[in-house]
Amino acid sequence: MLDFSPLVTRWHFLLNAFWVTVYISLLSMAFGFVIGVVVGALRTYGGRGIDRVLGFYVDSMRSLPQLVVLVWTFFAFPLIAGFSLSSITAGVVALSAHLGAYMAETVRAGLTSVRKGQMQAALALGMSGFDAIRKIILPQALIRMLPSLGSLCTFAIKDSAIASVIAVPELLRQSQIVTGQTYRYAMIYTTLMIVYFLLCYPVARGVDRLYRRVAHLGSS
Amino acid sequence: MTSGWSLIWENADRFAAGALLTVELTVLTMILAIPGGLVLAFLRLSRWRVVRFAATAFVELFRSTPLILQIYWVYYILPVFTEIRLPGLAVALTGLVCNISSYNSETFRAGIVSIRRGQWNAGLALGMTNAQVMLRIVLPQAAMRVLPALASTWVSLFKDTALVSVIHVNDLAYVALKIRTETFVILPVLNAMALFYWLMGYPQAKLVDWIHRRYKVAE
Repeated sequence: MLDFSPLVTRWHFLLNAFWVTVYISLLSMAFGFVIGVVVGALRTYGGRGIDRVLGFYVDSMRSLPQLVVLVWTFFAFPLIAGFSLSSITAGVVALSAHLGAYMAETVRAGLTSVRKGQMQAALALGMSGFDAIRKIILPQALIRMLPSLGSLCTFAIKDSAIASVIAVPELLRQSQIVTGQTYRYAMIYTTLMIVYFLLCYPVARGVDRLYRRVAHLGSS
Repeated sequence: MTSGWSLIWENADRFAAGALLTVELTVLTMILAIPGGLVLAFLRLSRWRVVRFAATAFVELFRSTPLILQIYWVYYILPVFTEIRLPGLAVALTGLVCNISSYNSETFRAGIVSIRRGQWNAGLALGMTNAQVMLRIVLPQAAMRVLPALASTWVSLFKDTALVSVIHVNDLAYVALKIRTETFVILPVLNAMALFYWLMGYPQAKLVDWIHRRYKVAE
């Protein structure tokens, strides 16, 4: 059972796949965060109509499985748009759109948690609404959001594995290719469990630790 | 080639069966994962370090790895140790229950810990045993506090059941993808799959929001 030769002979192939996992996780975190800040801020400050429309996007993403979003983006979207996406592009787009909705909820909760007086004080000092959000509200909110953002980052890593269903050459997908050639299912999937754990667990604990250090900056 | 929505209509019974299995998996997993989460939470609050460590390791392992990988892992690792090959549905259920129990245990642990120390002391002062205080004083109060978090886990569980399609369990996602490969009709089938998940998931997401507003912890 403990024959590690498939890992030894194909370590280069699997290492590349590992970097693809890291790459699409980081990209979907980054795009998801941008979507989250924009959508979250617009829903909080943009008025009722914008809140309704963006709320529909957020709630739809909260009700659709990642697998469905990925498969739809890769196979159905090109038929509507008339151009095809590479599997990596489709994967990043779908994962970002999905994660962005959750980020938006976090950002909105963070922004509304900052007391009204902070905004009023900023406006009273002559700041524009945009400046007040950017310089006063958002920095405090970001600190308060850290724990949720941290767990969303681990979700980005975990969800990247679902991109294997649209053949993104990431860690799970490439490992399936190796298991198909060598039949070492138990050993390879156990190794994968350890690798993903080593990837996600430090992120979760690291963000927790960071939060404990900076939490006081978020209180007002 | 049959076109478009008539194809969906012809396969309505298969979609319905898939959707039913998705719902059944969600309900069954949650029914098993609530006691599972409670047991894990108690083990993590145990006075023996070995027990605490083992329970924590289990929870952190299942919270820090992708569910899709856990399902494959259970699928391929169980036969190695037990020499029995469970049917796909049982494998899917095992993976989901381990995963959701881990999340639930964190929710329950937070709920139990959130009940003030004074409640314990008062119960013990009245002559109750530890177990009585836990069952009659702490758990009933904790139950209300964990409801919003449990509701959120419920919706992600509903979504996550789609992942069991990778081991050929006939849930909604699997049925839809199978009809697609049989008929080569891509767009309507994938649209229908997304629509059916949306129709089932959207009200649940709204319900969760309502539960969050209704049972928000205010102290």
